[in-house]
Amino acid sequence: MRRNLITGVLVLVCSFSLIFVAGCAKEQTVKSDAELTQAQQSAEEAAALKEQALKEQALKEQLLAEAAAFQDIPFDFDNYDLKPESRELLEKLADWLLEHGDFEATIEGHCDNRGTAVYNLALGERRAGAAKAYLVNLGVTGAKITTISYGEELPEDPRDCEEAWAKNRRDHFIVFPKKQ
Amino acid sequence: MRRIISFLVFLLVFWCSSAACGKVYIDINSPAFQKFPVAIPEFKNLGKTGAEEKLSVWFADQLSRTLKITGFFKIISKDAFLEDQNSSGITTGEIDFSDWSSIGSDFLIKGGFSYSGKKLAVEFRLFDTIEGKLITGKKYWGKPEEKKTMVLKFADEILMALTGRGGVFDTKLAFVGRKGNRSEIYTINFDGSDPLKITTYNSLTLLPRWSPNGSEISFTSYKTGNPDCYIKNLTRKKTRKISRFRGLNLLTSWSSDGKKVLLVLSKDGNEDIYIKHLRSGRLQRLTRNRSIDVSPMWSPDGRKIAFVSNRSGSPQIFVMDSEGKNVRRLTFEGSYNSSPCWSPDGTRIAYEGSSNGRFQIFSIGENGDNPVQLTFEAGGGESPSWSPDGRYLAFSSKRGGRRRVCVINSNGLNLRIMPGIKGIELFKSPSWSGHLNLY
Repeated sequence: MRRNLITGVLVLVCSFSLIFVAGCAKEQTVKSDAELTQAQQSAEEAAALKEQALKEQALKEQLLAEAAAFQDIPFDFDNYDLKPESRELLEKLADWLLEHGDFEATIEGHCDNRGTAVYNLALGERRAGAAKAYLVNLGVTGAKITTISYGEELPEDPRDCEEAWAKNRRDHFIVFPKKQ
Repeated sequence: MRRIISFLVFLLVFWCSSAACGKVYIDINSPAFQKFPVAIPEFKNLGKTGAEEKLSVWFADQLSRTLKITGFFKIISKDAFLEDQNSSGITTGEIDFSDWSSIGSDFLIKGGFSYSGKKLAVEFRLFDTIEGKLITGKKYWGKPEEKKTMVLKFADEILMALTGRGGVFDTKLAFVGRKGNRSEIYTINFDGSDPLKITTYNSLTLLPRWSPNGSEISFTSYKTGNPDCYIKNLTRKKTRKISRFRGLNLLTSWSSDGKKVLLVLSKDGNEDIYIKHLRSGRLQRLTRNRSIDVSPMWSPDGRKIAFVSNRSGSPQIFVMDSEGKNVRRLTFEGSYNSSPCWSPDGTRIAYEGSSNGRFQIFSIGENGDNPVQLTFEAGGGESPSWSPDGRYLAFSSKRGGRRRVCVINSNGLNLRIMPGIKGIELFKSPSWSGHLNLY
């Protein structure tokens, strides 16, 4: 007897909450199979949303991976002219930045450790500036690109040999989502 | 930085006969200069208490080491000594000078010490063994822990007596020490003792420059992201940011009155040279050129500025007047010349130049005449900085696979590698202080 009463109350509460949840629905009468459909639907919606979120996450990750994949561009000793192959890479970067308006870039200019630390700071500045100017020429908004020179201070390869020096004379790109 | 000197110095008693009748100093910068051969036997314990054997040896060793570092002395080996130390004394009458002149020692330094209460009294005497005469002598009283200061002060007296000018024992070097992708500013005494860490930003910090009176050090640090320029007061331990334009903020020279600095700023797209008036903060632009213009340094009289520009294609050294006018090119040999540093007497400019694919230290007359290569070794040389007396140059050089701070006499001889600091992989960009009145 008492168990029946509890069951009855529970059913009542459930029905009320369902009515409350489906309060906006046009149908005044709530059938039990409709209830089922609705529950199924919201589960499907949740799944879809989840899937959407996953997709977005994957897309975001893909974008971040793409953003991180832009390679360094090399320079000759005591020189800040862009090489032909660097121009190709910069064109790809420009296209990408134009396509993804919510991303920005920092260009780091680096040098090998020959010559003067101070002169190399200026040279690194020029290397970063050369890449920025090229991107701006291709239509990328200047304000989206910041440059910084590290001169000879952050070598990719600390050895003293032509192979290491060539690696160290570079522009490095950091592409990142615009800070909100 | 003037340390309060707690010990008393008494000029003695000893009078130099030759000083009174006009001295002929030896020109240590002459190419024909031979190092002064000097013998420094163990100091005598003049007191009654014994058990100070160690101190006898310590004074002789410390003074030998100090004089050797100057590059102007040849220390005669103890093994060559003929004198019977027990029977001889430290005054003219108690010395048989032929014992010393016969082993090739033109000069002899004798000394003795004694305790009176807790004070240590030390006498130093420099003799000319050929003439058999006292050249100069001093007696110092102080706390036992001030004994090194006493040695440095007498070493200064010796240089003064023999060359007419004192030494640079009261100077320090500031430099960059790097580990991984971080670097800090350090200082070290002229003789390589007492390394001190000046910055602790855990970032990239570069380009130390002493203010003329040695109370401050300027540098550029990336600690907030951009390479901004700071000045740290070493006594008050306070640091102020003096330039933070977007791009490079590099301070490479102080005016001799300490009121102005030369900056390189890239805020307008080109690296150009500016004077910053420290009190008013006013900026005065000196170069307007599409080329790279960096590393400006005032001549000692402040009337000219040497700098590096690639306006003619490759980095070369130029000189202009202090208003930025009358620019003339100074270096023509080689495809890369940079880091000009004006000698304290204003006559020469040291720099680094590429020679057979390596950077080496050179100096050139301020009119562009007589360029001389000073370093030749495989380790090369970069970023020269003169000592305040113009007798030495500090620079960075690769030694044993690592970049170290080195010192040479201004004639290129007597190379000395400054000691390393634990954990630091690379040392560079030395800046020599002025006289700091440390003693």
